[in-house]
Amino acid sequence: MYNPANSRMIELVHVNRVFQRADGQMVKAVDDVSIVIKEGEFVCLVGPSGCGKSTLLQMVAGLIEPSDGDIAVAGKEISGPGRERGMVFQKDSVFPWMRVIDNVEYGLKCRDVPTAERRDIARTYLERVGLAHVEKAWPRELSGGMLKRVAIATVFASGGSVLLLDEPFGALDYVTRHQLQSVLLDLWNEGGSAARRTVLFVTHDVDEALALADRILVFHSGRKIDDLAVTAERPRFTDSLLLPEMVAIKHTLLAHLGLEKRAAPPKMAAGERTGS
Amino acid sequence: MTVTTRARRDRWISVMVFAALAGIWQILSVVYTAEAQPGEPMIAGWQVLFTKTFLTLSDYWQGGLGVSAVADGAERSYLAALLSILSHSIDTIGRLSLGLALGGAVGLLLGLAVSWSRWTRRLFDWPLQFLRTLPLLAMVPLFQLWFGTYFFGEVLFVAYGIAVIVFAGTVNAVRNVPPIYIDNARSLGASRWTLYRTVILPAIFPAMRSTILLSLGAGWSAVLGAEYLGAQSGLGYIIVYAQQFAYLDRMFLVALLFILYTSISYWAISRLSARLLAWAPPSQRR
Amino acid sequence: MTSAEQFKILSGAPAVRLSRLKIVLAALDPLRVAGMVLFVVVWQVLTLGLPAIILPTPLGVVRRLLSDFLSAPALSYYGVSEANLYGNLIYTTENVAIAVTIGSAIGILAGLLSARFGLIRAIIDPVMMTAGTVPILVAAPFLLIWFGVGRASAVCLVIFYVAVILYVFAQRAATNLDPVYEESARTLGATPRRMVRDILIPATVPEILGGLRIALAGAWGLEAVAELLGSQSGIGKVLEVLAGATDPQGIMATLLMLGLTAIIVDALAAFAVARTTKWNATAL
Repeated sequence: MYNPANSRMIELVHVNRVFQRADGQMVKAVDDVSIVIKEGEFVCLVGPSGCGKSTLLQMVAGLIEPSDGDIAVAGKEISGPGRERGMVFQKDSVFPWMRVIDNVEYGLKCRDVPTAERRDIARTYLERVGLAHVEKAWPRELSGGMLKRVAIATVFASGGSVLLLDEPFGALDYVTRHQLQSVLLDLWNEGGSAARRTVLFVTHDVDEALALADRILVFHSGRKIDDLAVTAERPRFTDSLLLPEMVAIKHTLLAHLGLEKRAAPPKMAAGERTGS
Repeated sequence: MTVTTRARRDRWISVMVFAALAGIWQILSVVYTAEAQPGEPMIAGWQVLFTKTFLTLSDYWQGGLGVSAVADGAERSYLAALLSILSHSIDTIGRLSLGLALGGAVGLLLGLAVSWSRWTRRLFDWPLQFLRTLPLLAMVPLFQLWFGTYFFGEVLFVAYGIAVIVFAGTVNAVRNVPPIYIDNARSLGASRWTLYRTVILPAIFPAMRSTILLSLGAGWSAVLGAEYLGAQSGLGYIIVYAQQFAYLDRMFLVALLFILYTSISYWAISRLSARLLAWAPPSQRR
Repeated sequence: MTSAEQFKILSGAPAVRLSRLKIVLAALDPLRVAGMVLFVVVWQVLTLGLPAIILPTPLGVVRRLLSDFLSAPALSYYGVSEANLYGNLIYTTENVAIAVTIGSAIGILAGLLSARFGLIRAIIDPVMMTAGTVPILVAAPFLLIWFGVGRASAVCLVIFYVAVILYVFAQRAATNLDPVYEESARTLGATPRRMVRDILIPATVPEILGGLRIALAGAWGLEAVAELLGSQSGIGKVLEVLAGATDPQGIMATLLMLGLTAIIVDALAAFAVARTTKWNATAL
C-alpha cells in the first residue's frame, strides 16, 4: 500500500492566516507555516492558547481558507471540507435530533451507501468503541464521554484517510480522557501499522501529546517553533512516559510553553522568545 | 466586512426599505385613481395626504376652544384638523395610559400577593390560566355591555387585559428568582416583608421587562379594538368611522399616526427599561 | 456507575417512569382544583347581588352553552348563517387553521432565509420589527375595504400576525444553532441540500413549534375580533349579535366555548410537539 506520493500526505506550504478584529486591527493567527506529514503519522500540535494551532487545523479541514499559501492532502490541493478529512471537535458535535446509530452512519449516508451496508459498518464501529448497547439511544441520554466515543466512531465509520481532532478530550475529566485516548489509539492501530490513518491532533496537554504522538509540532504566536520526533515504542504505558528520551522531550515542551527554563536550545529558534 | 460596516450598511438598507415602501405607495396613487367619493381618492399620494386629507380631519372636531365644528357649518381648516388630531390622540393615549397604570398596578399587587406562599400560588393557578386563555379581544362586547362605550368602559377593558398579563408575569417572575438570593437574605435575617421589598421586587425586574413590553403591545391592541367596536372618540373611532365611507386616505393617515405612536412608545419603554436594567447580569437581561 | 447503568436511568427505566406518573398526579393537585371551585363559588356569590342581566350564574352559562351548541334558532333572526354555536365554531376554526398554516409557512421560510442571508435579513427585519410593535388590528379596516365582508379579510389579518411571530422564532432558532453542527456535517460530506434537510430543519423544529403554539394562542382572539368587525359567520359574528341583543349569558357561553377550544387545541399542539421533539433535553 506504500505510495511514494503519500510520503507527503498532508503538505502545508507557507500558509498564513490573517484575521480582522472587531476594532479593525489585523491579527496574524498563523504565520508562515510549512509542514510535511507522512501517511500514517500521528502528529500532535501543541502550544499555549491562542497560538494558532486550532486555526491551522481548521484550515486543513477546509472550514476556513488560508489568507496565503497552499494546503494539499494526498497530492491534491484542498478546497473546502471533504470526507477524506474527518474531524472530531472539542464541543459536542453529535446531532441531538438523530439517534446514536443514525449519527454514526451519517457520513456513509452522505456518500449514498446503501442502508443495510451502512448499518453494518456503523454497528461495527459502535461496538469497537464499546457502545453497542446504546445504538437506539438519543444523544441527550448519554454522558460527555459516551458522546465523544460516538463522535470518534462516526468519523472512523465515514472512512477517510486523514483524521483531524481539535482538543477533543479537553472538556472531559481525567479518567474519561485516558479511556478515550486508548479508544482512539485502538481504532487507529486497527489493521496493523500499514493501514493507519494520518492523524493531526491538537492539544495543550503535554502528557497527552507524549502518550499519543509519533511527532510533536510546537506552536507559538502562529509560528511553528519546534518539530520533535517521539520515538518511544507503542503501545505506551505509564512507564513509557518515564523513559529518558520522553522526559527530555517533556522538558523541551514545558520550556516552550514557558513553564520551565530552557535546558537545551530548540531546533528552530529563529530568534523567537518563550519568555520565562 | 467588519461588524461596524455591516451595521452601517444594514441601517442604510432599513432607510431604503421604508423609502421604497413610500415610493410604492406614491406610484400606486398615480396608477390606482379610484375614488370612494368624488374628490376623495382611495390611494392618495403623499402630497395629497398631508394637505387635503389632513384638512378633512377637521370633520372630526366636535367644536369648542373658539373653533367651530364642521358639522355646524364651519369651513375645514388646518387648525381644526390639528385640534381634532390632538384631542382624539389624547383620548386614545389617555385610555391606554390609564389602563396600563391601573392594570399594571393591580396585576403586580395581586401577583406579589399570590406568590406569598406556595399554597396561594397553587390555589390561583387554574383560574389564572383559564383567564389567560380567554382571548382578550373577543371580550370587548362583554365589557361594553357591562361598562358602556365611553371612557370608563375602555379603560377598564384595557386594565383587565393588562392585569391578567402582568399577574401571570409577576407570578412567573417571582417563581424564577434565583433561590440563592432568597436563601442569602434569609440567612442574613430578613423578615418576609423585608425580603419582598428589598430582594424580590428588584430581582423580578429583569424578567418583568418582557412582560412590560408585552403589556404595551397588548394595551395598544386592546385600546384600538375597543375604539373600533363602539367608542365615540379616539383614533380607532376615526378609522372605523371613515371606513364606513371607504375614506381610505383618511384611514391611512390616521393609521400612520397610530403606528408612529406605538413605535415611539415601544422604543422608548424598551430603551428606558434597558437603561434601568444596566445592573442585571447579561443572562437575565431580556 | 458504568455507562450502561447511566443509560438505563436516563432513558426511563421503570424506576423513572414511576416518578413521571407522580408528576402527572401532582398536576391534579387538590389545591389547584379547590382554586377553580373557589372561583366558581365567588362568581355564584356575586350573582346574588347583581341582576341576571349583568352577571349570569355559572350554571346558567354552562347550560346555555350546552343547549345552544347544537341548535340556537334565535341566531338566525339576526342574520347569522349557522343557527348554532358549533357551526360558527367550525367556521372560526377553519379560518384559524388556514391562516396559521399559510402564515407559519411564510414566516418560517422568511425567518430561515433571513438567518442565512444577511442581505435578506437587513431588508425584511425593519418591516417585521415595526410590524411586531404595532397592533396588527390596525390593518383590519383596510382589509375589510379590500376584501369586503367575508373570510378573506379575517384570514389575511391572522396570516400577518402568525407570519410575524413565526419569522421571529424561526430566525432566532436558526441563528442560535450551534455552528459546530454545520461544521461537523460539512466534514462528513453533507451537500447544502442535506444540510438543510438533515441539520437546519430538525434542529430548529422545537423552537419553531414553540412559536407556533404562541401564535396559535393569540390567533383565536384576533380571528374573533376580525369577525366582529365584518363577517357573516363565525364566533365573532355570534358575539356581535348577542351583544346587540344585550345577552351577557349568551356572550359568556360563547366565550367559554372559545376558551375551551383554545385550551384543547393548545393541549393537542403541546402533545404533538412533545412527540416530535422527544430528542430535546429541555422539552422534558
